[in-house]
Amino acid sequence: MNLKSERRGIHVDQSELLCKKGCGYYGNPAWQGFCSKCWREEYHKARQKQIQEDWELAERLQREEEEAYASSQSTQGAQSLTFSKFEEKKTNEKTRKVTTVKKFFTASSRAGAKKAAEEKTPKQGQLGRERNADNILRDLKEIFTPSWELSSPSEALAGKLKEIQEAKAPSPSIHRQASIETDRVSKEFIEFIRTYQKPGQDIYKQCKLFLDTMSHKRDLSIEEQSECAQDFYQNVADRLQTRWKVPPEKVEKAMDEVEKYIMTRQYKYVFCPETTDDEKKDLAVQKRIRALHWVTPQMLCVPVSEEIPEVSDMVVKAITDIIEMDSKRVPRDKLACITKCSKHIFNAIKITKNEPASADDFLPTLIYIVLKGNPPRLQSNIQYITRFCNPSRLMTGEDGYYFTNLCCAVAFIEKLDAQSLNLSQEDFDRFMTGQTSPKKQESDSFSPDVCLGVKQMCKSLDLLSQLNERQERIVSEAKKLEKDLIDWTDGITKEVEDIVEKYPLEIKPKSQALAAIDSENVENDKLPPPLQPQVYAG
Amino acid sequence: MATGAGAAAGGRSFSFKVVLLGEGCVGKTSLVLRYCENKFNDKHITTLQASFLTKKLNIGGKRVNLAIWDTAGQERFHALGPIYYRDSNGAILVYDITDEDSFQKVKNWVKELRKMLGNEICLCIVGNKIDLEKERHVSVQEAEMYAESVGAKHYHTSAKQNKGIEELFLDLCKRMIETAQVDERARGNGSSQSGIARRGVQIIDDEPQVQSSGGCCSSG
Repeated sequence: MNLKSERRGIHVDQSELLCKKGCGYYGNPAWQGFCSKCWREEYHKARQKQIQEDWELAERLQREEEEAYASSQSTQGAQSLTFSKFEEKKTNEKTRKVTTVKKFFTASSRAGAKKAAEEKTPKQGQLGRERNADNILRDLKEIFTPSWELSSPSEALAGKLKEIQEAKAPSPSIHRQASIETDRVSKEFIEFIRTYQKPGQDIYKQCKLFLDTMSHKRDLSIEEQSECAQDFYQNVADRLQTRWKVPPEKVEKAMDEVEKYIMTRQYKYVFCPETTDDEKKDLAVQKRIRALHWVTPQMLCVPVSEEIPEVSDMVVKAITDIIEMDSKRVPRDKLACITKCSKHIFNAIKITKNEPASADDFLPTLIYIVLKGNPPRLQSNIQYITRFCNPSRLMTGEDGYYFTNLCCAVAFIEKLDAQSLNLSQEDFDRFMTGQTSPKKQESDSFSPDVCLGVKQMCKSLDLLSQLNERQERIVSEAKKLEKDLIDWTDGITKEVEDIVEKYPLEIKPKSQALAAIDSENVENDKLPPPLQPQVYAG
Repeated sequence: MATGAGAAAGGRSFSFKVVLLGEGCVGKTSLVLRYCENKFNDKHITTLQASFLTKKLNIGGKRVNLAIWDTAGQERFHALGPIYYRDSNGAILVYDITDEDSFQKVKNWVKELRKMLGNEICLCIVGNKIDLEKERHVSVQEAEMYAESVGAKHYHTSAKQNKGIEELFLDLCKRMIETAQVDERARGNGSSQSGIARRGVQIIDDEPQVQSSGGCCSSG
């Protein structure tokens, strides 16, 4: 990882700005500090030379291989012929994806040679065709390859050479879209398998056959594919033991390599496949862990005190390891990440407690690490390992133990409730809904070595936040009161209006009617005043 | 890579997984540390951890690789038990003779194990801390009778004084070998060898050459 990023980084010094050849033009780091023109010249020269060398070496090795295998490999020759159709198809594919080549191969000549050596039955006609393909490819490459991908002549060339080699590879089981890593792994595998001589050839044949079969079985459910893989592991191991009489330690080593080889190739088809709900589960776990962000080490009784710098360092490393798991392709590499993570946890416990960690210490810490790290695609990874890891490693070995613990941690996190954290249900609910955070509550329980100022500050902060809360409460109350008042006046006004609306018509005609009655009495004035005092007296 | 004519007779190798169950403070860790490192509360314990330990034994020419899986004993992790003891050949259930509760806990485990794994698994019930005989709260008779009633064997150990531990593991191994052989015979010999090993117990037929070159040195 580090290496890659270093290489990618573009450092611009004053001296580097100009073309290295001193032609006066500006250079470009992507062209090794040359300007475009000089770069093209240099690149061409180096490439020609490299091609020459590589082909010489490849041819020599091929000849040697041919002699070595001539006696035993009649069957494979037949195989390569039947698959010539595939080869054509593949060449087409390759020309389309020339641009994907990246700077990955450093040991270029050796790489090319090894790959060449892999071809067990070279044919003259084929060789000629390859040369042709070579030329076409080179031209195409010049057109398509962006400059930034050609970091150095030899690297780019190595990539290209690889492609050519692949284009001519007669076996169909090499993926058409084989990535760089896949290539590297196959190369290593072939290199490794050669140390096993005859059984090695047998394994290689078996692997090819398996990959070929699997490519036709992609429609099967993932469980069935897993069964196939498990059967395959079993068969190969048995074969090595019973037929080839390989000692157990070597069988184990070979099985590791076989796993690496086939799973690098199978990975993209069988990791988190669409036919399963792995992805949904991943998201569920991720969401769950996020919701549990408030869980403290104290609640889980984690025997690790992160105040010790060394320990917190270990914790960080453990988290990094568990997150890194997702980036690996081979089940065993994923397991190795879990093991590395576990070792860091043990270290953290050992530093804190000064005694070897038991499972009572380990599991809570692992749970805490998982909660803190929230590793990506956790379920998918677990499923993938369970389905496609070599079972002997998973069931009995140390790696298997740590993996089991990880499964336990995930199961615990999924089922976690108030009781398992020694919390009351109300507290748990409040934390889950985010109403309060346990960290706030614990702010008054400082560790003894925190300095006075910090304590004071925390207390002041606490006070301020309380005041703030109160002020907010007052403001909101005042607002409410204001609103109530407005509502009240509005209500009254409305009521009055309603009444006014309802009654005015009845009042008016009444008064008019009275007037009318009066107006009819024309002789009113002439009447004597009413004798009211008498009425009162009566 | 030489001779090995005679070695073929006993040249078998077994791998067993043994889970260690029991409440928090019954001394599970001390027990395995004593067994694998022969140390107790020692400041100089070099092992980083005591949760997964291995031990190689040689019992009557049969080589045994023992993988001892410690489990978290806290109550809150009880539900995770099945994940741990899946595919195990033996279980050591530890209780503290001064703690009645821990014995009750053992009974729960036994019930669960028998339910989940049947009689395939060899059970050992272990009363630890016999150096504290004076404070005993679980009677010997009760414990032994219980063990017999569930088809388990009962042992008394003291990790502190290193008593009874070797015997416990040796006995367990012998029983596991027996179970494995019975199992093997039941499945038919020879051809089905491969089938047995799938995802479960790994039973490997050693090649004669290995016996001499691999050096079966470690003892029981």
